[in-house]
Amino acid sequence: MSMLATKEKLSVTGDLSTPETRIEDGGRRLGLMLTLPAQVLVLFIAVFPLLMQLYISLTDWSPLDGIGWWHAYELWNNFANYTDLAADSRFWDALGRTALVMLICVPAEFLLGLGLAILFMDNFAGKRVFYSIMLIPMMVVPAVTGYMFFMLFQSGGPVNDIISTLIGRPFALAWLSSPGTAMVAVMIADIWQWTPLMFLILLAGLVGVPEDQMRAATLLGASWTQRFHTIVLPKMKTIIIIALSIRVIENFKIFDTLYIMTGGGPGVATETISVYIYKVTQQDLIWGYVAAIALVILIALSILVSLAISRMNAAKEA
Amino acid sequence: MTAIHLENLVKRFGAFTALKTMDLEIRDGEFMALLGPSGCGKSTTMNMIAGMEQPSEGRITFDGRDMNGVAIGRRGVGFVFQNYAIFTHMNVYDNLAYGLKVRGTPASEIDRRVKAMADFLQLTPMLDKPSAKLSVNILQRLAIGRSAIVEPAIFLLDEPLSNVDAAFRAVMRTELKHLQRQFRQTMVYVTHDQLEAMTMADRIAVMDHGVLQQVGTPLEVYNDPVNLFVADFIGSPGMNLLKGTLADSDRGLVVDLGMLGVTAPLDPALSAIARVNRVREVVYGFRPERVVPAAAGQGLAIPVTFIERIGARTVVHFGDREQRVKAVFDNDVAVQAGETVHVAVEPGFARLFDAATGVAIREV
Repeated sequence: MSMLATKEKLSVTGDLSTPETRIEDGGRRLGLMLTLPAQVLVLFIAVFPLLMQLYISLTDWSPLDGIGWWHAYELWNNFANYTDLAADSRFWDALGRTALVMLICVPAEFLLGLGLAILFMDNFAGKRVFYSIMLIPMMVVPAVTGYMFFMLFQSGGPVNDIISTLIGRPFALAWLSSPGTAMVAVMIADIWQWTPLMFLILLAGLVGVPEDQMRAATLLGASWTQRFHTIVLPKMKTIIIIALSIRVIENFKIFDTLYIMTGGGPGVATETISVYIYKVTQQDLIWGYVAAIALVILIALSILVSLAISRMNAAKEA
Repeated sequence: MTAIHLENLVKRFGAFTALKTMDLEIRDGEFMALLGPSGCGKSTTMNMIAGMEQPSEGRITFDGRDMNGVAIGRRGVGFVFQNYAIFTHMNVYDNLAYGLKVRGTPASEIDRRVKAMADFLQLTPMLDKPSAKLSVNILQRLAIGRSAIVEPAIFLLDEPLSNVDAAFRAVMRTELKHLQRQFRQTMVYVTHDQLEAMTMADRIAVMDHGVLQQVGTPLEVYNDPVNLFVADFIGSPGMNLLKGTLADSDRGLVVDLGMLGVTAPLDPALSAIARVNRVREVVYGFRPERVVPAAAGQGLAIPVTFIERIGARTVVHFGDREQRVKAVFDNDVAVQAGETVHVAVEPGFARLFDAATGVAIREV
């Protein structure tokens, strides 16, 4: 209707009815022209680096070679980076550690966040204050978190002091320099920092569960657990998948907190994939290899996320 | 099939008293409407019957059993919410089955009872449909069926028709009343719409400001309101209420309405009670439907302010701000705004209220 009106107006006021301003192809050309700057920008931000990375990953290029990256084809190595990667046990160990951290931290953050969110559905004294306090860890710069927990887990630090008081005898474990416990400390730091995010997202989800449906379920005789399983969880499915996806992706990239606490050590005891990449980049300077690692991880994460999204769409349709 | 007894029920929220000493007996199989404007305490009363709120004082009994401290899910109360509160993530079948499932009923019995209920409510063709996109009358049936399947002792309905457009409401009212007859259930129906209460309820409990004003059949409440609030609230338009003074005349007791003149003599019965009560300042009440044209020089002479033609009937507004009168006439009544008309009240349909207390002057 409005399109029609516009057309009529244009043809009547002669000087505007030049062929260029007429919308004859349903606005497709105009649309393309309007979005072109944004599309070019996206191309440069996302696609170009990806292609560059793919290109470098097929060569032995390093900034020390003294040639620009665009000349990297001179160092073409016939997929040697990828074959090396498959045989690189340090890479696979780092990947395994990353997966372990993810499999412990993300469920722990989820369960703690969910429990706290459920508590915050009730009213209690000082709820608003606690709410603000709850969100602080999330706002701390991860490097600072790393430093905080580095201090906490010193052998003469507060954590050991508290344990000593509790068990009634001196306790002086060197958390960060024992291979068995360094990762535990790192995971505690990660859980401390990121449970609030889970809490926040899941609380939003809980608030969105229709109260009258919960009441209806109660009146039909459903217990708290039954209501939780039959009403709350199904209603929160989408938001739970979003929360888990965010944390899986973020946790997979765990770096700053960890690097400050342990530097990946002792030895390689806390070397996750990001730490490994960092070391290879900064210390060994074999950038072609780094590009290959990064690309493999990107593909792995993309598969993980697209699986989550398809689950989410299935949940939405149900 | 349960009788509900509310005894000296009081509900306070902090300093605010939502319900003041309510006594009400709801009989077995009765359709009772709790009627009143918003904030009158009707929903609070219903929530206490359901167990969603605890009474501050008094008690609620179902067939003599005290319900204090009995958990919501164990009271045997079917609740139909204002927006039906259908589980939108389930299909029709799972909604109907919900109450049985959470009770741990065997699957074969659930299936049998769900199918029987669906058959009864004509929901069988949509058992597999997602419940999110059903039309409102199907939602109502589903909400009732979901509650009915666990065989509750009583049904509570919280303004279930308020989200329905006016045209469809009549259909829904008929259907609801029909369902109530079939289930022969005690039903308590909360509404602010007197038309719903009048058309469906066996008895109406009129409430205002947390006080139960009157309990009676729709006709009792309509014909003999116990006070000015009920007189004004029930009826559309409400009862005409004119301030006046009782006066003796040679034809018997009359009401002097000041500028409007003097009414026809009151009925002997009403006169007798009025004399016994020794009240002089009264409010003279009569239904707009009971106003009839009178011959010139008789009845009340009042100017017509404006005329509302509502199709079947014509509502004529008389008088000024102080002494307003409405009359419902046939649609072809020949009156015009501005002219002065003589009207009278049909004999036997005048009511008197004490002007000071607002309470009806009538036989007790």
